[in-house]
Amino acid sequence: MSITVQLTYDMAREVGSPTIQVSGAETVSDVLKLTRERFSQDEENYAQLTRVAALAINGVLINYRRGKKTKVQDGDRVSFVKAAAGG
Amino acid sequence: MIKGYAGRTLTVNLETQEHHFEPLDEEMARLYIGGKGYGVRLLYDMTEPGIDPLSAENPLIFATGPLNGSVAPQSNRFAVVCKSPLTGGIGNATCGGSFAYALKRAGIDILIVKGAASAPCRLEVENDEVRILPAADLWGEGTYATQKALGKKYKHAVIGPAGENKVLYAGIVSDERIAGRTGVGAVMGSKNLKAVSVTGNHKLEMDDPEAFKAYTKTVRELFKEHPVLGESMKRFGTGAILNTTNGRNILPTRNFKYGHYDEGMSISGEHMEEHELVGVKSSCMHCPVTCGRDVEVEGVGRVKGPEYETLALLGSNLEISNLKDINEWNYLADDLGMDTISLGGTISFAMELQEKGAFDVGVKFGDPAGLSELIRDIGHRKGVGDDLADGSRRMSERFGGAEFAMHVKGLELSAYDPRGSYAQGVEYATTNRGGCHVQGASMYFESIGPLTINPQNLKLKADIPIVQQNLGCAINSMVLCIFSTYGMIPAAIHNMDPNSFSHRLLSRLMENMGPLFRGFMGIKARPMVWWEKWLTYITGQTLSSGHLQEIGARIFNLERIYNLREGLTQEQDTLPSRILNEPIFPGTTTGHPLDQILPRYYKLRGWDNNGVPTAKTLKRLQVRT
Repeated sequence: MSITVQLTYDMAREVGSPTIQVSGAETVSDVLKLTRERFSQDEENYAQLTRVAALAINGVLINYRRGKKTKVQDGDRVSFVKAAAGG
Repeated sequence: MIKGYAGRTLTVNLETQEHHFEPLDEEMARLYIGGKGYGVRLLYDMTEPGIDPLSAENPLIFATGPLNGSVAPQSNRFAVVCKSPLTGGIGNATCGGSFAYALKRAGIDILIVKGAASAPCRLEVENDEVRILPAADLWGEGTYATQKALGKKYKHAVIGPAGENKVLYAGIVSDERIAGRTGVGAVMGSKNLKAVSVTGNHKLEMDDPEAFKAYTKTVRELFKEHPVLGESMKRFGTGAILNTTNGRNILPTRNFKYGHYDEGMSISGEHMEEHELVGVKSSCMHCPVTCGRDVEVEGVGRVKGPEYETLALLGSNLEISNLKDINEWNYLADDLGMDTISLGGTISFAMELQEKGAFDVGVKFGDPAGLSELIRDIGHRKGVGDDLADGSRRMSERFGGAEFAMHVKGLELSAYDPRGSYAQGVEYATTNRGGCHVQGASMYFESIGPLTINPQNLKLKADIPIVQQNLGCAINSMVLCIFSTYGMIPAAIHNMDPNSFSHRLLSRLMENMGPLFRGFMGIKARPMVWWEKWLTYITGQTLSSGHLQEIGARIFNLERIYNLREGLTQEQDTLPSRILNEPIFPGTTTGHPLDQILPRYYKLRGWDNNGVPTAKTLKRLQVRT
């Protein structure tokens, strides 16, 4: 089962790609663990990279579903999304 | 005269070559503030129903408000009002830069241009001196060259070839900003008016200048520390939201066929900052936010870079991921004087028509080849450009494809797919000028801001657009930049963990506070937010949130009855078929549930079932018909 993880701009710079693929995840929580493994061990840096980033599955925030316990399916896109303003 | 106003309206008749000054109507200023509101009132009163928008009978109204001419941050905007040639209803657009400041310095609140000249002309105003001058030498020039030729003594509002050729979504350009929407530039072109140049030395009188000065200093500090106004917009410009809309599945992609673009990051504000940004000089006068982006375009030099709407409508919506291409098209559109939202929406429509074999536009999704030439041809109405210059609605009437013509009331949708932002969809459907986001920006509370409600249920989906549209009408009448409203959400909310329980709780609370939300916004108390305080310090009138909601509702209803008078009906309060019927979120089987929300919207507005404001509503809001 493959999940596409869409990263924030700063996360993407760190791994050199706007997305990564993870497999074997059943929930968002699993996706987060597998994503974490792709980054350096520096906790402070990772916390900074993911700071105030909400999580969405196929565009829908996990807050409107079951949070990090939300199940994921093959082909889903899990996105780290930061609030922004513009127009 | 109320303080904060120059106290004069200038009317220029290009046909008779006459002009006259009149005192500003104080009662109208109290009821409509200025800017868009005052302009709509004038348009309603001055014109007969059913006029041809491109005839001499359609006045072109440049309108400032009481904030203009001050140094309040984000207050250098003017409104332009006329009947829209694109929609047939109310036309209006606002523009930043420095023209608003100069018009006020010339001692003018409102400039009304009537009639049409028999040959290209331009208007020059310096205090009491008004000159109508020939402009044949400038006709055909782009907006950059025109402003350069007119020199720095005056501040200018000009059209490019698109306005001259009456492209129905031509705009009016000032500095490097544009009053882009609804075809105000085509109306200026129909008058053979190439440019308006203004200067003067009138000083703005304020009721309490010391309080204004001290408070403005405080606001500047607040903006400096704010996560949006002091950081993300300053660093990344409006393109800061592209990765957000992409993540939330509302980034228009392939003519709104999808809400996500895999290559989106390469056209984002962050990417622009890292690879393209060379400065922020193209930002507006007195603005500490500096969201304007300067980029280099090959063969041209340093020019204003694309805003979010342009990045999306000429980028993801055409499946183009090369920022340099978009930079160039943005420059071309600015120089020709065209709205990039309608431009992008019309091109993507033509591309899809071509795929279905109904039209040969010569360009295709995902391929930049030929697009520069096509944009030039649209601006000059050459070849197929002549069809595209009329916008997607008229093209769909000629060639079919109405179900994927992405407009409301003829105005192409801006860059937020309402299938993932229901309140924004209601705003698109009901906003009087058509499919636009800056008359309310409801999506900020459901899809892009730091504290959002669930955008895909029915809660608050009628309430938010109403409050936001009312506020938008008031903001566009002061005239202030709508981005100022982003500062209302405090840093503490921005700094919350969006996946935390407390954040989720706040979001739920917000979602269930319907009547409380409207009630709170409607309280007529003391001015609290900066624009309320500025208005109060400048004019001496107490203007709180409740007052502005009432004034905004008055303006919105006046626009509504103008549209009804011009033949628009509730049938135009809709969304494109693609948005209503085609799902883009996994697990959904249809699109936007507009029909479930619209009745409540009408009811809350005080309109009948046909979307007509009741006599009681108009009386309560003091809207004269």
